[in-house]
Amino acid sequence: MFKNRGIAFKLILLVSASSALIFLLILSYNYQSSKKMIEENARQNAWNLSRATVNRIETALRSVQKVPENLACYLENSSYNKDELVRVLRAVVETNHEIYGAAIAFEPHAFDRNALYFAPYFYKKGGKTELLYLGSESYKYFYLDWYQIPMELRQPQWSEPYFDEGAGNILMATYSVPFYRTINGGRRLMGIVTSDISLEWLRDIVSSIKILKTGYGALLSRNGTFITHPSKELIMNDTVFGIAEARGDKTLREAGKQMVRSGTGSISYKNIWGKQCRMYYAPVPSSGWSLSLIFPVDELMADVVKLHRTMLFGGAAGIVLLSLAVVFIARSITRPLTEISNAATEMGSGNLDIDLPSVRSHDEVGRLSDAFHSMRDSLREYIRKLTETTAAKEKIESELKIASDIQMSILPRIFPAFPDRPEFDIFALIEPAKEVGGDFYDFFEIDATHLCFIIADVSGKGVPAALYMAVTKTLIMSKAKEGITADRILMKVNDELSRDNDVNMFVTIFCGILDTSTGEVCYANGGHNPPLVIRKDGDISFLGEAGGLVIGAFEGMTYTLEKLMLGPGDTVFMYTDGVTEAMNEKEELFSDERLERELASLNVVGIQELVSGIMEKITFFTGDAPQSDDITMLAVRFLGGKTFV
Amino acid sequence: MEIEVKKELDIFIIKIIGRLDAVTTTEFEAAINGLIAEGGNKLIFDMGELQYVSSAGLRSFLGTAKSLKAGNGLVAFFSLQESVNKVFQMSGFNKIFKLFNSMEEATKFMNT
Repeated sequence: MFKNRGIAFKLILLVSASSALIFLLILSYNYQSSKKMIEENARQNAWNLSRATVNRIETALRSVQKVPENLACYLENSSYNKDELVRVLRAVVETNHEIYGAAIAFEPHAFDRNALYFAPYFYKKGGKTELLYLGSESYKYFYLDWYQIPMELRQPQWSEPYFDEGAGNILMATYSVPFYRTINGGRRLMGIVTSDISLEWLRDIVSSIKILKTGYGALLSRNGTFITHPSKELIMNDTVFGIAEARGDKTLREAGKQMVRSGTGSISYKNIWGKQCRMYYAPVPSSGWSLSLIFPVDELMADVVKLHRTMLFGGAAGIVLLSLAVVFIARSITRPLTEISNAATEMGSGNLDIDLPSVRSHDEVGRLSDAFHSMRDSLREYIRKLTETTAAKEKIESELKIASDIQMSILPRIFPAFPDRPEFDIFALIEPAKEVGGDFYDFFEIDATHLCFIIADVSGKGVPAALYMAVTKTLIMSKAKEGITADRILMKVNDELSRDNDVNMFVTIFCGILDTSTGEVCYANGGHNPPLVIRKDGDISFLGEAGGLVIGAFEGMTYTLEKLMLGPGDTVFMYTDGVTEAMNEKEELFSDERLERELASLNVVGIQELVSGIMEKITFFTGDAPQSDDITMLAVRFLGGKTFV
Repeated sequence: MEIEVKKELDIFIIKIIGRLDAVTTTEFEAAINGLIAEGGNKLIFDMGELQYVSSAGLRSFLGTAKSLKAGNGLVAFFSLQESVNKVFQMSGFNKIFKLFNSMEEATKFMNT
């Protein structure tokens, strides 16, 4: 995927990715543990706060409770008249700022036989204390909860919060204490003493609790009705169960059940404004109410979130800085590498004179650069030497070419060679191999009726072979005098060549002398490939099996003189091993057999066409295989004796 | 080309395997000259596995023979393959070298 990307890219990717991963792991661990810590703190805080608030409410409620309790005690243990009662009651209401109002409600006809109701009630209205006598057709206090429940239970009791219509005319809760009189040894209930607490006042207490930014507290009655809540519509109108039902929130309903049973606990839920919150609740023991404190989660976690945001930014900045550092380091490595790479490409295209980038550092890159410098210098030196060597080699090659040209130029190459001699025809072809070879042929007239012809192959190749050939050719020319026979020519030349021949070079040679008047050929073979005789009628055969020793090997050798009669139209075909050992790509040889077959099958008239025809066959046979040896052919045809007049 | 040399008393029997041409002759000559320098002057060439001999090869046989002749040494060949034998016949080398059918005949010649 990143195979073709540079080192810098890979380094940045790798380093940034791994450091980001490590950073994120640490950050998330840190977040989790500080979240836990903060939650624990918040929990502690919440309990402390709720305990404190509950205590405040308790204290307030207790002080409110004290008033009717003390009044009840007073009423049970002293005698009083109406004025006195009203005075005491007024004093109580005026001196206890916690209470909204207080009443002493007697049983029917209990205070005055003639009066059904007697219940003086003082309450605060606009900074003044007002007196009201309770009890009328529309306000039969005996049947109201604040009166009836403690009367029936015969014990002090906080009422559920209620709107006191016709009396206090506010939302309130009432603490009722029954009082008695001992008459004839029996305790007879005389009435109920009450004190009212304004829910307004309670709400002030609860709303004075500061919870984070938008957190708040709420007070619930014994049946789950909201006594205080920041949302006024809920107060006295809704219960925690109502909300839980409306939302289908089981957790909230369970919590509500716990609250009305004076339980303690906490839940996570969404408050009425849809905000994720944590609620802690605890009971207010004296009234059986429940206080709940609501902490918005986002504010609870605000510090952690802020801390982590800071850390995240810091981390990101750190990674950016790290990446920049990596870029810087990578660049310092890749820049010289790129330069070296470009220089190497330039050098590869043959320019060794370019300036290589200089790297001052002594690290791996520096060593690579040094190595490149020395490589360039070595290459320059090498190329310089190579150029010199090549020049020298070219000189030698050109000299060899000249040698080859000279060698070829000493061979007779003009055909027809004897245009004025109708009694015979002669044709030769030499196809030199790439290297200077050792093949040669020659023909010349010894006298008016004798034509000497030779074909030879000097062992080895190159200049030594060429020189040796020139020497041999010259020697033959000098020995072939009138009246000499072929065997003697070979013997003499052999002796001359063998004497002091330290290089062990030798020559295979076939030498024939044609009597142009009779068609008789006298010949000797010095280790050369046997020529073929092609009769006019198409009969073809190899000339003799075994010849004598090659010339130039051992001094004092003798050669056998053989004779052959040619009729008019008969041909002697001579060749070197370059013909029979011509090789094709499958490393097969052209071979004696193929030569004989091809000669027999060529349907041509002249000997030039014959020789050229064989050459074509050889070229076709070898195909693309390189020619490794000289290919030489020489053909002599007797055309008929000259008629001497 | 490969060469296997074994010595029986004062006779070196040299087996030539493969082709003896312009390329391999140098190596061959070096090996033979080494034997001659060691004092070997009776050499028998086992030609049973020599498939081809070029004129360069013939030339090194000639050189060997000349070197040995100078020190009254002897050289012999046996088990020539047909193609190699043909070259020996054609070039007339059969006239100056002793060719045998088997090693026994060659060693017998050396020892008489």
